Amino acid sequence: MKTKIAIAMAVLLSLFVSACGSATSGSKSGGGSGETIKIAVVSPTSGSLAKTGTDAANAWKTAARLYNEKGGVLGRKIELIQKDTDGDPSTTLQGVREAVTKGGAKFVGGVMTSPENAAVSAQAKGLGVVAMNAIGKDDVLRGKQCSPNQINVVQSNSMSFKAIEQALKDMPGQKWAIQAVDFSTGHSASEKFTEAIKASGKEVVLQQYAPQGTTDFGPYITNIKNSGADAMLAVVYGSDREVLVQQMQQFNLGSQVKTVVGSDTFVESLFPVMGDGIIGYYNNVGYDVNADNAMNKEFVQAFIADHGNQPEFIPADNYLAAQLLFGAIEKAGSTDTDKVLAALKGMKMDTIDGEVSIRPEDNQVLRNMYVGRVVKKNDKLAYEIISTTGPEVSTPQANPDCVMS
Amino acid sequence: MEQLLNGVALGALLMVLSSGLAMIYGLRGVANFAHGALYMLGAYLAYTVTERIGFGLALLVVPIALALVGVVLELVFFRPLQHRSHIELGLVTFGLAMMGERLVTLIWGEGTLRVLPPEFLQGTTSILGSDYPTYRLAIIVIALVMAAVLVLLLRFTTIGLHIRSASQDIETAAIMGIDANRVSLIVVSVGSALAGLAGTLAAPYISLNPGMGDVFLITSLIVVVVGGVGSIAGAMVAGMGVGIIQTIGAVYLPSFAVLLPYVLLVVVLLWRPQGLAGRKV
Repeated sequence: MKTKIAIAMAVLLSLFVSACGSATSGSKSGGGSGETIKIAVVSPTSGSLAKTGTDAANAWKTAARLYNEKGGVLGRKIELIQKDTDGDPSTTLQGVREAVTKGGAKFVGGVMTSPENAAVSAQAKGLGVVAMNAIGKDDVLRGKQCSPNQINVVQSNSMSFKAIEQALKDMPGQKWAIQAVDFSTGHSASEKFTEAIKASGKEVVLQQYAPQGTTDFGPYITNIKNSGADAMLAVVYGSDREVLVQQMQQFNLGSQVKTVVGSDTFVESLFPVMGDGIIGYYNNVGYDVNADNAMNKEFVQAFIADHGNQPEFIPADNYLAAQLLFGAIEKAGSTDTDKVLAALKGMKMDTIDGEVSIRPEDNQVLRNMYVGRVVKKNDKLAYEIISTTGPEVSTPQANPDCVMS
Repeated sequence: MEQLLNGVALGALLMVLSSGLAMIYGLRGVANFAHGALYMLGAYLAYTVTERIGFGLALLVVPIALALVGVVLELVFFRPLQHRSHIELGLVTFGLAMMGERLVTLIWGEGTLRVLPPEFLQGTTSILGSDYPTYRLAIIVIALVMAAVLVLLLRFTTIGLHIRSASQDIETAAIMGIDANRVSLIVVSVGSALAGLAGTLAAPYISLNPGMGDVFLITSLIVVVVGGVGSIAGAMVAGMGVGIIQTIGAVYLPSFAVLLPYVLLVVVLLWRPQGLAGRKV
């Protein structure tokens, strides 16, 4: 009997180990012969960031497929080395190290939160890699924690709020409450937004922070009700976004708070889950899925074919990161990271987001920013773009704390 | 007042979830790390049943389905492995939890899902001058009814007597003629059904995602230890206490709120190592 139990447990454990192994092992998207261009994609596939992590990885998969079908980059196939993380910076860094030292990756993408991107930024030069930050919005990644080896494809919080600031004066509400995630991005966003609110002659009556993974926003919503706020900013990520919206509706917060503005909170892919209750909510929009250019149309079509859903800003920014990286490799004529970095500095390129450029002072990609309002069109929720802000307004001067050495 | 109700609503959910965990721990001595996965599975099944039939029926169907999962757990894992060390059995339940999470992702996807309560439970109800979500009040009522039924079952029925005696000393209970295997089967099934009930109640309260079991598992384990290992009444009281402390902490000590359950655990273990309602060893 004991032997049978031991065998059963061994089988169970081996199944378990093999299941874990498949989640963390490399996945080839190249498949061609000869030396491939290896890219580490380190995104969370478990926990509250799993969905956005998978979206990021999916964008890299679509990019690899499209470029490989056209003969690759410099005639070489793209190979993705996918590593799983739970969103913890140390786990992410370990994944990056493994992909670089064991897998031979020279380029990194798909890293999710700002703390994870900061961890990668600190090690990128030592590891000799080019890291494409397409998700981390914290300003500090363009300041004290910038790295000559990290390119910031996504707009920073400052840029998002500059865009929102432009639209703020026309939004109803005098007393604002800020509900933000309790990590660096949330605090930095709250600070920037408070400045923007005050600049428009309005008042911030409450700033509060909830840990990532909060399942009960009840106490926070009650605080907002008690604060007398008539407008609200939400800087909430991962699955917390749906929880917040659901519970705001349970508490009928809409009867008091007339204006709700999100920073990457009310995103298109979540509209079906969030429901009609978010009609009229505002959100910064970093990417316009309906952008009328051939590259964007090709990307949207390919992404839907590969993954069955329309891309929103996370996949779009990661695809844009892939476009810039592949463009720089072509321009450099080499995969040598120093040459690729040199090619990226100041590069201008046509992309799915129109023409963008990379500011050499802090490696920030300069792009348009939009603010959208959720409306119902053809029985579906969609953004109506209410303002467009060019990089000359949304993108402040490079932070002098950023030293590229 | 509203903040107190927030704490009671969260406490009610923890009560339902933790009492099932405490029952299994009390009898089998197993730290069932799969309990969070059972709760998550309950929530996802509630989603599917609500989509097809309705939420009211989900409250009945899902606990029954989870009770059947409990039967499988008992017959396939707990009973054959009952003489193995607790750490080995704990590891097996940990592995089952991870498999459960993967299984849920494969069936329902990793995106977030939403369950709406019946229309009459949507919106708010005025209570002592506060407009409070009706569904949260319903959770409190259901949890209190569940607690009363459980107490009556344990105190005033023969099977309740058998469960209490087997929880004190399963071997002596067996010598006294109690069918320990039958009692254990009932306890694991009821414990799993309670996880299913907690998942069903949680589905419209929070949104569904495959990681939802992890957060509540840790808190439930703390509740069980604080309540007194194996004490169902202790788990209920501790569940309510932890819910209220966590909520009040989020309001008055937001930077430390996440640590409060752990602080409570340390304080209780230092002050009363057997837990609030546990037996001295």
